[in-house]
Amino acid sequence: MRSMKLTKLMSATALIAVGGPALAAEFDGVTLQAKLIGGQQYEALYARIGEWEAMTGAKVEIISKKNHFELDKEFKSDLAAGTLGWCVGSNHSSFAAQYPSLYTDLTPYLTEDVIAEYVPSNVAASKIGDALVMLPRAQFDVSVLYYLKSVYEDADNQTAYKAETGRDLAPPDTWEEYKAQAIFFTDAPNFYGTQYAGKDEAIVGRFYEMVVAEGGQLFNDDWTPAFNSDAGKRALSWFVDLYQAGAVPPGTTSYLWDDLGQGFASGTIALNLDWPGWAGFFNGEETSKAAGNVGVILQPQGSAGIRTGWSGHHGFSVTESCDQKEAAASLVAWLTNEDSQKLESSGGSLPTRTAVWDHVLEAAKADPFRAEAIAAFQAGSEHAFPAPQTPYWIEATNLIYPELQAAILGDKTIDDALSDASEAVDEMMQENGVY
Amino acid sequence: MTRFRLPAWFALLLPAIIVLAAVVLIPLVLSLYSSFTSYRLTRPETLYNWIGTFNYEKAAKSAHFWSAFGRTVLLLTIALNLEMLLGLGLALLVNQVTYGQRALRTIMMFPMMFSPLLVGFQFKFIFNDNVGLVNNALQSIGFSNVAIPWLVDGQLAFFSILVAEMWSSTSVFAILILAGLFAVPRDPIEAAKVDGCTPWQSFRHITLPYIMPFIYIALAIRSLDVARAYDIVQIMTNGGPARRTELLWTLIGRTGYVDAKMGYANAMGYISIFLAIGFTIFFFRKLNAARAELGMGG
Repeated sequence: MRSMKLTKLMSATALIAVGGPALAAEFDGVTLQAKLIGGQQYEALYARIGEWEAMTGAKVEIISKKNHFELDKEFKSDLAAGTLGWCVGSNHSSFAAQYPSLYTDLTPYLTEDVIAEYVPSNVAASKIGDALVMLPRAQFDVSVLYYLKSVYEDADNQTAYKAETGRDLAPPDTWEEYKAQAIFFTDAPNFYGTQYAGKDEAIVGRFYEMVVAEGGQLFNDDWTPAFNSDAGKRALSWFVDLYQAGAVPPGTTSYLWDDLGQGFASGTIALNLDWPGWAGFFNGEETSKAAGNVGVILQPQGSAGIRTGWSGHHGFSVTESCDQKEAAASLVAWLTNEDSQKLESSGGSLPTRTAVWDHVLEAAKADPFRAEAIAAFQAGSEHAFPAPQTPYWIEATNLIYPELQAAILGDKTIDDALSDASEAVDEMMQENGVY
Repeated sequence: MTRFRLPAWFALLLPAIIVLAAVVLIPLVLSLYSSFTSYRLTRPETLYNWIGTFNYEKAAKSAHFWSAFGRTVLLLTIALNLEMLLGLGLALLVNQVTYGQRALRTIMMFPMMFSPLLVGFQFKFIFNDNVGLVNNALQSIGFSNVAIPWLVDGQLAFFSILVAEMWSSTSVFAILILAGLFAVPRDPIEAAKVDGCTPWQSFRHITLPYIMPFIYIALAIRSLDVARAYDIVQIMTNGGPARRTELLWTLIGRTGYVDAKMGYANAMGYISIFLAIGFTIFFFRKLNAARAELGMGG
């Protein structure tokens, strides 16, 4: 009896210490249903759910495990059918704004001190209006520049580049220099200077950050489209010029993240703007032909002196219809507390808590490549900005990306493509009563 | 006082009527109703926002919708004709085989056993510009020294999708036509031989009329399939790039489930159904005409 009490007391102390607001056995008899993002890399974190169950007495029943695109469809179906009996859901900053009524504001269930432990920019990107609709986990994404060191160390390349441009050959710090080098390195069809995501939200995200780097915006404050501008045209011409020069694989307009990751790992791409999750893969002896030859630096800047930095992060949310919000908020806080973030970031992903960033930098010191990558991502994260926080972001991307592709493939001029995309987005926003 | 009793015929039909209403009629009426609303999946309350024929007018005025419609008709026409010709050839060849015909018939059905999603992934890889089998083969034997963008160029992508569709479904024609060939009576063919007809004349004037009803049944079934083509195209190109391979159902699927605009998607769906109905009526008329020609009633 005494040992049971002691265990309970220790559990309560441990829970308070790691940042969860729950008390031991506070949620006895409570069962929470959860819909979580699935994948081998997330299983270690989900194993911690058992510890939370033991401490609080609650049970967690995971009723769905899918990738975010599939979860997105499932959430929309749940909203339509009113099947919202579940409490905890995986969320993503690029998707969150689409479901303004699905998730509850977590602020009443957390102390200000707990919220202050997260990186402020990640907290800001986790809000819809003033409502904190998710707590960010250690799955923060911003892209930096990966490159093959060998192409820069090659003496012939150095001489030829100097002769051609008058500049020394070094990894680029501007997108203009990046384009020139990508064209210079290309030896198609065996070796390409670079590649980019060519469809869906992915290409619009890349275009968006390039517009920002060129000094423009995708939307005005009233959500009227703003990308049919000089900055928008400069941004799109970067994609068009690379494609027309043959400096990217001809199939790049059908590529998504996996194709790009495999492409760079094949050692046939010199420069690659990519996400943190790929760092280990690119430098792994068994996974990549580029292993030992990969450099990582801060992402380049555009002509406005602004660096690209379209970012996103995963998080956990609690549904508005959940009848056990306190227990659900406790679980969400547990899954994103310091220990959980340390565990997740040990796999290579980036944290969203200030203290965990320090821990990750310290832990990477023994591995020069890891240290180089983490330093680049930490520097890169200072320039990060989220996707436009509108419920119509995904719908807007579906209107914009075919027009970007049309310009890249030469079906339309840059002016016509941007004008058509802008007109379509404007019509969609008006139809949805945004203005 | 007599108790009210349902007529026996109605009572017997009632279970079927209830099941049909639940699985066919109610969803059909609901989707038809929602096509007159601004229904968005993420905002259930919009199901009650009646907007009349706005969605239909929008679809009727949309160049993207009509180009997807036209492309679907084109794919349907070309795919059906080629599949029919190849299926007919395959059936005639297999019909000549006397040893191992059963094994051949089973092998012929293998592509039909693959999920269309798998077929899509398989051909996406085969036609990949960088690591795909086709480009590597062409480069290895010296036919090409460039990476041909099979899934990017509009015509090549259309061709690639066509190849995937044909690989997956030609056997439907072959199996049905083979069944037709088994049913052709031997007497008229032997009589034709005795009368000095060439093999082509026997085929053209005796075999073909007998198997035409089977061909029209296969055409009707496959026309509905191709008019609903989604999985293979979704995986291989997702209607892109730059809408170059957009078909009706990739457009409707994206509008409904990604953009969450179910009202508008349903309106486009109802317009598209006329395409399927049109082809079905056409092929059934042809089928009846073919049966009438054989004296099997019209």
